[in-house]
Amino acid sequence: MDSMRHDEGMNGRAIRFTGNWREYLPIAATNVLLVIVTLGVYRFWASARERRYLWSRTHVIDDTLEWTGTGREMFFGFLMVMAVLLPFFLFIQVVFPALVARGKEGAAAGLFTLFYLAVFVLIGFARFRALRYRLSRTFWHGIRGGSDDSGWTYAAEYLGRSLAAFATMFIMFPWAQTSLWNLRWNKMSLGPLPFRADLTTDGLKRRWALLYIAPLAIVVGGGVLAAIVGFSLRSSADANGVTLTVIFLGLFSLVYLAIPLATLHWYAKYYRQAAAATHLGELDFGFDATTGDWLKLFLGNIALAVVTLGFGISFWGYRNWSFIVRHAHLYGHIDLAGLTQSTTRAPRESEGFADAFDLGAI
Amino acid sequence: MRGTLYDGTTAFPHAVTVSATGDELNLTTDDAHRLVAPLAALIRTDEGNRVRLGRSDLPGWRLLLDEPLDPGLAARLPRPGRYGGWIDRFGLGKAAAACAVAAAAVVAVGYTAPHWLAPHIPIGWERNLGDSIVGDFGDNRCRSPYGQRALETLAERIEPGVTRGPDRIQFAALDINMLNAAAIPGNHIIVFKRMISGAQNSDELAGVLAHEIAHVRRRHVTEALLRELGIGALIRLFAGGIGANAQQVASLSYTRANEAQADADAIAALERAGIDPRPTARLFARLAKETGEGRGYSVQWLQSHPASGGRAKRFAASYDPHRAYRFALSRTELVRLYAVCTWQYGKVPRGGGGRKAPVTPEPAPRR
Repeated sequence: MDSMRHDEGMNGRAIRFTGNWREYLPIAATNVLLVIVTLGVYRFWASARERRYLWSRTHVIDDTLEWTGTGREMFFGFLMVMAVLLPFFLFIQVVFPALVARGKEGAAAGLFTLFYLAVFVLIGFARFRALRYRLSRTFWHGIRGGSDDSGWTYAAEYLGRSLAAFATMFIMFPWAQTSLWNLRWNKMSLGPLPFRADLTTDGLKRRWALLYIAPLAIVVGGGVLAAIVGFSLRSSADANGVTLTVIFLGLFSLVYLAIPLATLHWYAKYYRQAAAATHLGELDFGFDATTGDWLKLFLGNIALAVVTLGFGISFWGYRNWSFIVRHAHLYGHIDLAGLTQSTTRAPRESEGFADAFDLGAI
Repeated sequence: MRGTLYDGTTAFPHAVTVSATGDELNLTTDDAHRLVAPLAALIRTDEGNRVRLGRSDLPGWRLLLDEPLDPGLAARLPRPGRYGGWIDRFGLGKAAAACAVAAAAVVAVGYTAPHWLAPHIPIGWERNLGDSIVGDFGDNRCRSPYGQRALETLAERIEPGVTRGPDRIQFAALDINMLNAAAIPGNHIIVFKRMISGAQNSDELAGVLAHEIAHVRRRHVTEALLRELGIGALIRLFAGGIGANAQQVASLSYTRANEAQADADAIAALERAGIDPRPTARLFARLAKETGEGRGYSVQWLQSHPASGGRAKRFAASYDPHRAYRFALSRTELVRLYAVCTWQYGKVPRGGGGRKAPVTPEPAPRR
């Protein structure tokens, strides 16, 4: 069997999650125990163990994925990055007040701006490096992924697009997000096969507009409602209180529901389209999670944490990964004899930068 | 037995027959290619599912063994890693217990570090910080040289030589309407206006100053700085004290043990100086009562100096009825101290004149 063809519906799903929570429970429990008794140092080994399990239960076509990253390398990656970042932060922390104290506000403002730009560049860099690291430690059929790019170009592009989004009150955010998706995935590979991503903002702009329209609609709607209630209760003594309550509830739902929901609604479509626009050789990807699915995932995560008094947080990684795998699809054809070992360099600093900024990779 | 081999070069799966001879694993592909792998180089990469072997010298080389495993071969395979490196070697129980002990030790050291570290931090490191904080109060400093001298005289009564020499403490009265006094890094003690004007006699103030002097001498200020700002405080102090703001430092609080020690030191200092401790006891009792009544202005003092009732008793208990006590300040000095914040240039405050100070006659010490 030199090559394999996989179309969904023919012989089941090409990507399947085969784990279950009972199997994962001892891993989660021992991870929590060891993280506590090591004052958090074990978390690198804990996440390596979690990924080893999750990858081993992710079945792709005819074999599982394999995670080969180690806690040790993640720990040292973290130390390396801290050794780079800590002096930088300390320098800023000491020099900035010193400049202000000496009345050099201009220089202080300049330093402040530079600092924030640097943080943005580093976030972009971290995100690229984390993705590159994860691919380089992911094996399938003995072949791994990776990238030969250092990520600095991406970091600069990340800064530029973030600034463009800020400057346009986030109107350009969908463009920034989609083009960044393409920029990072187009530099990744599995074996000799490069990933290709050609995501556009088609179909994503209208949902983004909803983010601006939804709060406005709620304010107008809330105002009308308040007016009606206020008018109808004009004679009663606590009409004012009722009106205020309605307005307050309107604002409450605006801030705590409408904006996050509209954002989630956008991201749900963004990830569906992003997966569909990404290819690997003759393989095509798909992702079918709807806004409701994401909402169920997040609410489930929160409920799990609450019900288990926090222990459930150790299951978030499991839930998130299995969610992604369950909604992922793979179509097309792969030539196994032609899928040769990756020649990319395996990075050493692992996810240190992403860790430092608390970022995900995808 | 049978298995599937990925050679790490391509993704192509080779069906192989596997057997172990000597210290080698023999693999034969279906088209009769023979391969060997040293058993010593094998690593386990499976995670509780199908047995998956890798080679430490060939990344990507994978051998998947079919179920059921040949028991002879299975016995010679390495064990899969679980928790990582040395935890697997010692076993989870032992490793977790050892880590817990080590963690408890680290926490204990971290918790007590400010206490034993503080005395070893050169006071010079704190100078800049303290000076800048006192400098921040700039315009609010009470200007009377007479009042200042009276304040220092009071301090000298408690600890002779306290305002002189390399270890001197600098005292400042601040025209801020707070019922408070505080020790500041770099051997500074500040007393707020209300503390002075609200005092019913000089002995009360002596008790308060003695308490703050004890905080300075015992390095409680440095200790609190280390405890609340953590290791960053050390670096900032070393770098010249830039970066920490006055608010943070002024809101430092001491541990109860530190407070008790400062009280004990203050009681001893009053005793040495021959100052009646009962007025200080009455001050604390008054403060305790005022908090009880929910009076806002005393809250600040009490938050950092808890349980005023108990300490009032301790001060009162140190009173010796057979001893001759002397007032902490003369009447003239007390009046000058009262006027420390209201003094105008060119006027010498005199007893009984100029200001409606709540000067109550001091009780004559009983013999």
